Amino acid sequence: MPFIRHAIPTLLIAAVLLLAWQGYCRLAEVSPLVLPAPSDVLAALWTDRARLALHLLATVKVTLIGFSLSVVFAFVTSVVLHFTPWLRRGAMPLLVASQTIPIVALAPLMVLWFGFGLLPKVLLVILVTFFPMLLSLLSGYGRLPAAYRDQLISMGAGRLTVFRRATLPVARPLFLAGLRISATYAVVATIFAEYAGARQGLGIYILSAKNNFRADLVLAAVAVSAALTLLLLGLLQVADRLTGRRFRGGDDVAG
Amino acid sequence: MLRVEGLTIRSEDRLLVSDVSFALEEGRITCLIGQSGCGKSSVVKWLSGVLPDGLVAEGAAHLDDERLSLPTPAVAYQPQQDSLFPWLTIGENAALGLEVRGMSRSEARARVLPLLEAFGLGGQAARFPRELSGGMRQRAAFLRTIVQPGRFLLLDEPFSALDAVTRLGMQTWLCDRLRETPRGVLMVTHDLYEATQLADRVLVMAARPGRIVADIPITPPRAARTEANLAEIRTVLRSLLMEEMT
Repeated sequence: MPFIRHAIPTLLIAAVLLLAWQGYCRLAEVSPLVLPAPSDVLAALWTDRARLALHLLATVKVTLIGFSLSVVFAFVTSVVLHFTPWLRRGAMPLLVASQTIPIVALAPLMVLWFGFGLLPKVLLVILVTFFPMLLSLLSGYGRLPAAYRDQLISMGAGRLTVFRRATLPVARPLFLAGLRISATYAVVATIFAEYAGARQGLGIYILSAKNNFRADLVLAAVAVSAALTLLLLGLLQVADRLTGRRFRGGDDVAG
Repeated sequence: MLRVEGLTIRSEDRLLVSDVSFALEEGRITCLIGQSGCGKSSVVKWLSGVLPDGLVAEGAAHLDDERLSLPTPAVAYQPQQDSLFPWLTIGENAALGLEVRGMSRSEARARVLPLLEAFGLGGQAARFPRELSGGMRQRAAFLRTIVQPGRFLLLDEPFSALDAVTRLGMQTWLCDRLRETPRGVLMVTHDLYEATQLADRVLVMAARPGRIVADIPITPPRAARTEANLAEIRTVLRSLLMEEMT
């Protein structure tokens, strides 16, 4: 199977790196308080699994709510901007400039304004993931070949029909790329929001493990958050596979 | 009859087409030839209602003395490349024009699917354009154009992307299809041989600004056209085109 063939070199490299890490910790007798070996991290993960699962659930909840809302907001905004050229022209430079703002740094402000509940964390996830998705969608809309548009207009199609029948399908690959980038950001943003103030979540778990000098638990939580990101990316891949048969096989001549 | 009257097309700084008038008759093929950039495609795009942004047109199109608002269902347009949508199957692509014009999906498919066989696309309804040869794609694009209700077809260099052999086959095939479903056709082409082989009439366009400088009927019946009886017409057309280039 091609997947396994592609995965083997990656798995081998990962195994070598983990073995090197394990070997270094054992042979150099590094204190587990500073750098625990992978086996120590795994053991800590297993021992503390119940508490970790509780915090993971809280993180998953914020990530999924924030990410889903962000997808909806980004799509609606992209449609409004697409159909309002003057607004798009005015907003684009601001949208691009907004990418330079380290939005995760706003996490403490969110807590200050909205307290320790779900809202500030979800808002931060939305803020972080919204712009990459919006920009991907707008770039995707801009890729509509003139020949496709002309073909539909000559058939009597209005702007909405052109959008539905050609612009959206053409934008699909870029939208998916935006989704993947945003999915990665979503987990990071949730953890940052939890650092700033939360009762539960991987962010607060990492913070409390650090305060107790438990590097093994910090790394266990990092591994879990990485797994969560991979799971999200995997789900997007599955959704793409299930819905995208007609979009596979490379780009066609653009008219 | 579809008449174009006094068509002038301008860009911001240039006159592209000047005062072009012609008429298309149903059941007859009119070819529009001229050197690259003379405005042939702009004329066809205007009549299809897809004149590019930045160009401004004056002039009118009349169908049986009734002024048309463009784009109009009276004409169906096929652009230079087949522009089949890669995410739609051949059946879906062929039915697209009917669906956009308001027919239900099932009705449009029911109208198109029985025609696939005659268009050399039997068994291809569920395949995607990328899986087909250039000739088959062109036939699918032509099916999409011809199933539309328009009495006139505007074909912008429909065979330019095909190799020489496929092109010859497609020319004969096009004439057969038009015999079965007569339409008035305006076809843009660069190819003198194609024009004289297919057309009932050839309009020659000159450039800077684009204008019609000759309207030449091709009198021999299509089946009786040979190199010999077309030679004189081709010589005339060639000299007209060369004149424009010098």
